[in-house]
Amino acid sequence: MKIAAFLLAGGRGERLYPLTRDRAKPAVPFGGIYRIIDFTLSNCIHSGIRRIFVVTQYRSYSLEKHIQLGWSFLSEKLNEFVRVVSAQQRIDEQWYLGTADAIYQNLYILQQIRPELTLILSGDHIYKMDYQDLLSFHQERAAHLTVATVPQPREMSRHYGVMEVDPEQRVLSFQEKPDSPRGLPGDPERVLASMGIYVFDTRLMVRRLVEDAKSDTHHDFGRDIIPRMVEMGDRVFAYIFQNPSTGEARYWRDVGTLDAYWEAHMDLLGEKPAFDLYDPQWPILTHDPPAPPAKILSPTRSPQEGIQISNCILSDGCLIRAEKLSCSVLSPYVQVLEGAQIEDSILLDRVVVEAGTRLRRVIVDKGAVIPSGWEIGFDKEKDRRHFTVTSGGLVVIPRDWRID
Amino acid sequence: MEPRSLSTVLIVDDEEHLRELYLAELSEEGYEVLLASNGREALEVLKDRRPDVVVLDIRMPEMDGIEALGKLVSRFKSIPVILHTAYSSYRDDYRSWPADAYVVKSSDLTGLKKTLREVLRKNPTKP
Repeated sequence: MKIAAFLLAGGRGERLYPLTRDRAKPAVPFGGIYRIIDFTLSNCIHSGIRRIFVVTQYRSYSLEKHIQLGWSFLSEKLNEFVRVVSAQQRIDEQWYLGTADAIYQNLYILQQIRPELTLILSGDHIYKMDYQDLLSFHQERAAHLTVATVPQPREMSRHYGVMEVDPEQRVLSFQEKPDSPRGLPGDPERVLASMGIYVFDTRLMVRRLVEDAKSDTHHDFGRDIIPRMVEMGDRVFAYIFQNPSTGEARYWRDVGTLDAYWEAHMDLLGEKPAFDLYDPQWPILTHDPPAPPAKILSPTRSPQEGIQISNCILSDGCLIRAEKLSCSVLSPYVQVLEGAQIEDSILLDRVVVEAGTRLRRVIVDKGAVIPSGWEIGFDKEKDRRHFTVTSGGLVVIPRDWRID
Repeated sequence: MEPRSLSTVLIVDDEEHLRELYLAELSEEGYEVLLASNGREALEVLKDRRPDVVVLDIRMPEMDGIEALGKLVSRFKSIPVILHTAYSSYRDDYRSWPADAYVVKSSDLTGLKKTLREVLRKNPTKP
């Protein structure tokens, strides 16, 4: 079965601002040494899907660089690749209008490859998934379209595309961000949320994309194509991403907001984390530039007491002289100086936290320098004068920030 | 035959003698016929005129029919397009699928005329 994957990486990621000020959302760093897109790309590799087009649009420089440096190990000789497709105005003089238009404008690629199945993915999510299960499910049902879904509490419906299904998991309706949808049969407090992952019979997908291109729509899979296919009586099924024996939803997070981004980082920590980066069966691949190992120094004031570090992820190149470090994720080359205390925070590459500083629930973007003696995360009003403060109370410090 | 309201057809073909043939035959059928010799010229014509249907050859210099089709669909969603080519091989090319119909050229214009009538019936124009 010939399969091609299109990973849609063109969203603006406005709700992750300022982390998306200089980069596309899939290129936002995550988990110390990764970028968000690495999780989906790793899923592809581990699922044996090795013909991957990454469709980019806004602020794609950093993303393209990352893919070139980290993801050019596949063999073109074996017809395996991760290839960046930037918006080329190939059809007409316009950007991609929506997710469906991003594929429509690249019909020439589908024509060149002629895959029987097309897998549409998003570069915005943190999860581990074997797409072969999804593909088998699709083929067993002779589906035209299979939407991967994850059970979510009903009150979360307005964040997702939500499906109603029959007992065979055939989709009866698809609504984008509904207020009060019906719950699952036999489980009324949960709904099936779309993960933004679709398997299409390519020929039917092209037919529906062409019809959509000629209609006045948002040109979006979730808003237009899928509801239309359900309405037309196409064979649309919902694959449920859950533990088959317990029915428990598998780990999947849309890190589309700063609060969700922070929460997903906290999920990496602890002895039995909700999301395990240390699973030898499913390593997350990335661009991994050489850096010296992390180094933890003794505090000069009270060397005999040492440094308190608990429940943290430290990346290579870090230099830690702090007093206390807990429940935090540090990217490469972060420096934490004498007497600093950091908890529940995310520090991206080359951040410097100067002496005596206290940070609590702070996200610091690359290269920022937090001046000596500052306390951030303790007084929202004060923090708001300088930085973004989220509805969840997180403080976010933009890239390369320093005191004037 | 009942006189009917004049439908306008834009013929896009790079072969002059074919354009003349279509002009003669389709005028006789009661169509108003506009002519262009490639995709670029067709888009120029469309700056001033709104035909009810476009008949588009594929292999043409300057801008071929596949490229012109993409631009036509994006700019004038409501104008139907009939691909009219000597080759049947483009029929399975996804890029030809936005067309409303696909007619393989023949010396006899019966097929084209029939398709024109069908496409115009499905796409009643002139609001």
